Amino acid sequence: MNKRLVGAVTLGLAAALVMTACGSEDPAGGGGGAAGGAVTLKLVAADYGDGPTAENSGEKFWRGVVDEFQAANPGIRVDVQVINWNDIDKQVATMVQNGQVPDILQTGDYSGFVKDGLLYRTDEVLSPNTSADLLEKFADFGKVEGVGYGIPFVSSARALFYNKALFAKAGVAEAPTTWDELKAAAEKLKASGVSQPFGLPLGNEEAQAESFLWFMGNGGGYKDASGAWAIDSPANVEAFRYLQGLVKAGLTTPNPGTKNRKDVWADFAAGKVGMVNGGPMSIPIFEKGGLTDFGVAPIAGKTGPLDTTLGVEDWIMAFNKNGRKEEIKKFFDFFYGGTAAQKISDTYKLLPVTKSGIEKLSSDEKLKPFLDALPNATFYPFQDPKWSEVNTQIKQTIGSAIDGDPKAVLGAIQKTATAN
Amino acid sequence: MQQTFTPGRVVRALAPLAWIGPAVALIAVVVVWPVVVMVQSSFLKISRFGVVQGSNGFDNYTKLFAEPDFGGVMARSLLWVVAVVGLTVTLSLGLAQLFDQRFPGRRFARWALIAPWAASVLMTSIIFKWMLDPEVGLINMIRRHLGLLDALGGADADPLGNAATAMPWLVFVAVFVSLPFTTYALLAGLSAIPPDVYEAARMDGASRLRTYWSVTLPLLRPALVVATLINVMNVFNSFPIIWAMTHGQPGYSTATSTVFMYILKGSDIGESAAMSVVNFGMVIVLTIVFLRVSKWRAEVS
Repeated sequence: MNKRLVGAVTLGLAAALVMTACGSEDPAGGGGGAAGGAVTLKLVAADYGDGPTAENSGEKFWRGVVDEFQAANPGIRVDVQVINWNDIDKQVATMVQNGQVPDILQTGDYSGFVKDGLLYRTDEVLSPNTSADLLEKFADFGKVEGVGYGIPFVSSARALFYNKALFAKAGVAEAPTTWDELKAAAEKLKASGVSQPFGLPLGNEEAQAESFLWFMGNGGGYKDASGAWAIDSPANVEAFRYLQGLVKAGLTTPNPGTKNRKDVWADFAAGKVGMVNGGPMSIPIFEKGGLTDFGVAPIAGKTGPLDTTLGVEDWIMAFNKNGRKEEIKKFFDFFYGGTAAQKISDTYKLLPVTKSGIEKLSSDEKLKPFLDALPNATFYPFQDPKWSEVNTQIKQTIGSAIDGDPKAVLGAIQKTATAN
Repeated sequence: MQQTFTPGRVVRALAPLAWIGPAVALIAVVVVWPVVVMVQSSFLKISRFGVVQGSNGFDNYTKLFAEPDFGGVMARSLLWVVAVVGLTVTLSLGLAQLFDQRFPGRRFARWALIAPWAASVLMTSIIFKWMLDPEVGLINMIRRHLGLLDALGGADADPLGNAATAMPWLVFVAVFVSLPFTTYALLAGLSAIPPDVYEAARMDGASRLRTYWSVTLPLLRPALVVATLINVMNVFNSFPIIWAMTHGQPGYSTATSTVFMYILKGSDIGESAAMSVVNFGMVIVLTIVFLRVSKWRAEVS
């Protein structure tokens, strides 16, 4: 009996080792290699669609692009690995740590790779025609100390969506433009039976966006005018105190610090939420959920509607480790010069980053408010090397400023941002 | 005596290696190597993008221990293990006793118990998360129909939204998925107890309670120890339940050390590795303490 027990305990210990160890090592995707003389590019991209089985999956989108590209360039193969937004940062970090970097990466941030010299400069992998077509403002955000590394991929801007039918039923004539109006509208919606008058996602998916919009509404932000971190500024703290009032009165999504935008948007599409901040990419989600009668308005600020909004820019970049500059250049020219860049805007309702793309979309009524907002948009301070660490902490903890003391929660994040 | 190396002797000496070699190689690659890398990483400065920037001494550990949430996370992990394993073992003892009896439909009931075990833990967690959704969750709808809930969509219908109500649900799901294994392990232990010891107890006029306490439990101890031990390690390292249901939020108020480790990985890989090492140490300490307390070496008399 005892011997068997020793065996079982040993087995158990071994199992514990494996389980603990699992946490430190994520399996990275296999590297690409040359097959039959052809050069293989490895492309890692984020999924803008609804997951691997969805009709609009990133896998399908890239498959289409790559098939066309390979047909036109017989000497080059492209291996695509699509990763969802929640995991892509960690998985790419693991690839870098293990020395298995992709040749091309499409994701939400590029700046962290620059300092260590992992990326090609944009002028090494983009032909002059392609770079001339990129909007200057966007391309400028891709520069670190004056040198371009990040290539703008897609962009988006935020606005306030409201459910017209629920507004009519509650007797609210127009979208709110100030915080007081917003609260009044929310109270009317609540009285007419709407369970979540204002959809407030402060959970880990995108708390940094929702918070930023509220900071802006009070003239605040993550950084002050001089470019210093100001996360616990009085304006930001006041914005959270206002939100606390809304939440306590039951006028928002319950426990916003645990709710993700995906779910809140789904609730808006289902007619359970009166108004919510969203972007062009939320339009297909709302329509798929059966809601087409929604209005789009500028986001309400403390004393008036915002004259700016949150702009988000995603990036594509080329790693220099495998030295496949020429092949990468061909791929980028194909992507931006052909129909692919257009197709991604159409499929996911994201805003283009090229002059030609924006021109083509200017007649789209639904996208117009967002295209108009883009020139004035404010972006995350992602060029600051601290941003990625600060961002992780914002996502996890900023929502707890609703139940706790905003000054303390924002102060803790500020401390991370200003620590050396 | 002079040792002579004849070819036959060498072959005979090496023979066992052919048998244990594959297992040793497997353990070295799959178990030992990741642990080595983990410990190594915890002393390196690694950027959030995966670039190793050289040695960092003990800074990762200093930073980890200085995290304002570290203490709470560790205390919660211990509480989590004690609560989940305690409830699981207690319930499993009862269930195993029940399933050891003969009753109509026993075969069916035994099969049914396998279900939570056979389903993926992640799937089970997501299903429970949906059932607790404030707007459309099945459990909330039932509470509504029973008059326990005034309205859907509010904070009352959102038990996963704050730590005080979320933790009991997380524990419930963890117990739910741990019950099958534990019950089966104890059931196997029960059926190994020879019937004649019960007969002897009856002859001596022992009451049922007394029989259970003095005969069943001591004879069940080996199975009980192994089942508990495996549960302790499993539950301590349990990640998918909390991750799928609350992400450790709001803040870190429902995070255990494994969840904390994973979140840290998003901002500081070295610090995350340090957390893994602490976690690993905790499992070993817990195991040793448990084995001491349960005196697993003591012979059953």
